[in-house]
Amino acid sequence: MKLITVVCEAYAREPVLDLLRSAGARGWTLFGVEGEGARGGRTADIPEFSNIQVEVVVRPEVAAVLLERLERELFPRYGMIAFVSDVQVLRAGKF
Amino acid sequence: MTLLEAVQANLLSPAVLFFALGVFAALVKSDLRFPEPLYLGLTIYLLVAIGIKGGVAISSAGLATLWLPGLAAMFLGALIPFWTFPVLRWTGGLPAADAAAIAAHYGSVSAVTFIAATNYLLSVGLPFENYATAFLAIMEAPAILIGIVLCKLATRQPGEAVFPAVKSAAHEALLGRSVLLLVGSLLIGFVTGSAGMEKVAPFFVTPFQGVLALFLLEMGIVAGRRLGDLRKVGPFLIGFGILVPLVNGALGVAVGHATGLSVGGATLLGVLAASASYIAAPAAIRVAIPEANPTLYLTASLAITFPFNLTLGIPYCLAVARWFYS
Repeated sequence: MKLITVVCEAYAREPVLDLLRSAGARGWTLFGVEGEGARGGRTADIPEFSNIQVEVVVRPEVAAVLLERLERELFPRYGMIAFVSDVQVLRAGKF
Repeated sequence: MTLLEAVQANLLSPAVLFFALGVFAALVKSDLRFPEPLYLGLTIYLLVAIGIKGGVAISSAGLATLWLPGLAAMFLGALIPFWTFPVLRWTGGLPAADAAAIAAHYGSVSAVTFIAATNYLLSVGLPFENYATAFLAIMEAPAILIGIVLCKLATRQPGEAVFPAVKSAAHEALLGRSVLLLVGSLLIGFVTGSAGMEKVAPFFVTPFQGVLALFLLEMGIVAGRRLGDLRKVGPFLIGFGILVPLVNGALGVAVGHATGLSVGGATLLGVLAASASYIAAPAAIRVAIPEANPTLYLTASLAITFPFNLTLGIPYCLAVARWFYS
């Protein structure tokens, strides 16, 4: 199983979640985060100016589609990074 | 009252002093910061409080007195991008996307600036039309949509449709939390009238000044953190951020005068025209014009125009209004 982590600006929330659903992810976890990157510091006190982190566990074939679509559809539009890790999961049927 | 006294009365109000404290806290990198839920809570409180008050005022003034200045306010907001866009594009040499994005921000309005202006009028003892809150509600969205259309027309590839981008932004601009809360509480205030107001006054009226002071402390921190970005935006945008409120402020006052508002009401319409949005507009623009650089429009509206209006722009609009009516 693959864990995909997306860290992006809060404005990208709906587009990212729509993409996850349509690419075949069956659930997701989201939290507000702060940090610093190519676009300077992103503090978390005003929700619109902050970053969010979305985590989703998917099957490898879904992961490939998801990453390809993220790169093509959303990277040009929003401040965003994404990375993939191999994970072991319990209750694999949920994914 | 001279202009100097008018400015002094504004600068020494608790709200503006707390704003200055916030800027100072950000500049010295103090660990002072508001948690996100508190920020959200304070904005909701302020919008609902002025919404209800405005709605009650509409119910006692009657819709008949409202429609002309209201319609004029809406057109004023929608027309501002038509002159700011060419200035940004050709005098400032900005790309079409950035010029349209900034023009949209300046046509739209800042609720906090408006609230600070009503506060200021109360402190100098000048009466104003409480239903002016309705102007705040109707001036927020039109300019954002106009800005997006301007951008799409300027950057359009042959055969590309303008409509989808406007549609996605319209949802942000018309149903975002600030417009939704404002319009909703205006309606509730209108329906319940002064009898309803009595019930909520201990919560929404008495503590209002204190909440505003607290909120401006946070806005000072937010604006202060962005001051470093002034170096990135260059002298043109800094000049733009100060001159545009002066021109739009005078335009707003003139429209208020022409449509029969009082000195206080015309001042408020001037402040609305002078102000630039920094919550509703960025949210809609980010979705509809992703190629525009957020540093430019956020720094201009939040780090230049907002502090300028809060300190000098509000007494300036009052001075222009007094001159118009004398």
